Amino acid sequence: MHIVDGALSNPVVIGGAIAAAGGIAVGLKSLDLDRIPTAGVLSASFFVASLIHVPIGPSSVHLILNGLAGLLLGWAAFPALFVGLLLQAVFFGFGGLTVLGVNTVNIALPAVLAWMIFGRMIGRGSPVQGAIWGGIGGAFSIAATTAFVALSLALSGDAFLPAAKLVFFAHIPVMVIEAVLTGFAVLLARRVKPELFLRGSPA
Amino acid sequence: MKHLILIVSLVFVPLPALAHKVIAGVFPAGDAIEGELGFSNGDMAVDQDVIVYGPDGTELGRTITDADGFFLYKPTNPVAHTFTADLGAGHVAKVIMPAEEVAEILGVAAEVEHAPDVVSPTDGTAIVTVASLSDEERQTIAQAVRDELRPLRREIAAYREKNDMQGILGGIGYIIGLFGIGFYIAARKKMSA
Repeated sequence: MHIVDGALSNPVVIGGAIAAAGGIAVGLKSLDLDRIPTAGVLSASFFVASLIHVPIGPSSVHLILNGLAGLLLGWAAFPALFVGLLLQAVFFGFGGLTVLGVNTVNIALPAVLAWMIFGRMIGRGSPVQGAIWGGIGGAFSIAATTAFVALSLALSGDAFLPAAKLVFFAHIPVMVIEAVLTGFAVLLARRVKPELFLRGSPA
Repeated sequence: MKHLILIVSLVFVPLPALAHKVIAGVFPAGDAIEGELGFSNGDMAVDQDVIVYGPDGTELGRTITDADGFFLYKPTNPVAHTFTADLGAGHVAKVIMPAEEVAEILGVAAEVEHAPDVVSPTDGTAIVTVASLSDEERQTIAQAVRDELRPLRREIAAYREKNDMQGILGGIGYIIGLFGIGFYIAARKKMSA
């Protein structure tokens, strides 16, 4: 999921960095005092989630939890996930510093999209209904991330469809696990802190 | 109760020590350059094309990895060799062997071709008699040493990729600190407003 240094062409790297800076700026603006702790906790969860590996066949993939971050934070997912990615690059060498912008966009933009599409549904209806939408949102953001990763590779010269298929199918187990995790997280939050989603939904 | 279950289940989630990263390394092996290529979770790159470039970007040659992710390349010019491989899905490996090391490989190879320097026991002051080795024996010993070192090298590579608890805790500490600073700034803004 993390693209490494040297895999992308320069225009893609620069474009990604600019887009990420824009997203972070919007996110920081939307981040009010009450939401900062939430952003911090989700940033830390994202940071650790990448270390949890799901073995599939000969390879393994890791959790991302960007759907959950997006649904809870909206645009503020950008700075939260950026911090997580930055520290992953520095501490563990996941991805790299030059491709940080592209990776941020690939992971945070699907989170924001999930929030735009599913944010409202989660706050409505019974907690179980909200949880189901949350699960769909969690799976959606992973699927969208695979598409973005494939697109970044395609813009740098790889053929889009084979790359997209490879990344997408490798992440189907992650989608399932994240859907369940996000669903339960939403269920829990709806029960103990229902106001979290009422304010978090897009106006 | 639900919180407790959540916390307990999160605590007991196994944290494997391996990251999904590309490992690549090159080292001199007799008169050739030997390299290995694979992922840090232990999967080696099998039948992977490795392209060798010179310092000016010209292609010097190609080689293919074997079933264990190893490849061999015989250099001809004493220049820096850049080995690249595209493992797909954004995984790219790139290692450089500097010109001095390549020159050393070529120098050693040339010397071996010319004359196996036999230590003659004519010198009376020699206390230790060094048994002279034939070329083949030397090659065999070198090969044996390389084979012995190979698992060790792999272990070191894996160890270097290890994410220990300190790294994880350090990262979480950074995150808490950063968001703490953010919180502080936001709170000051709110107070002055």
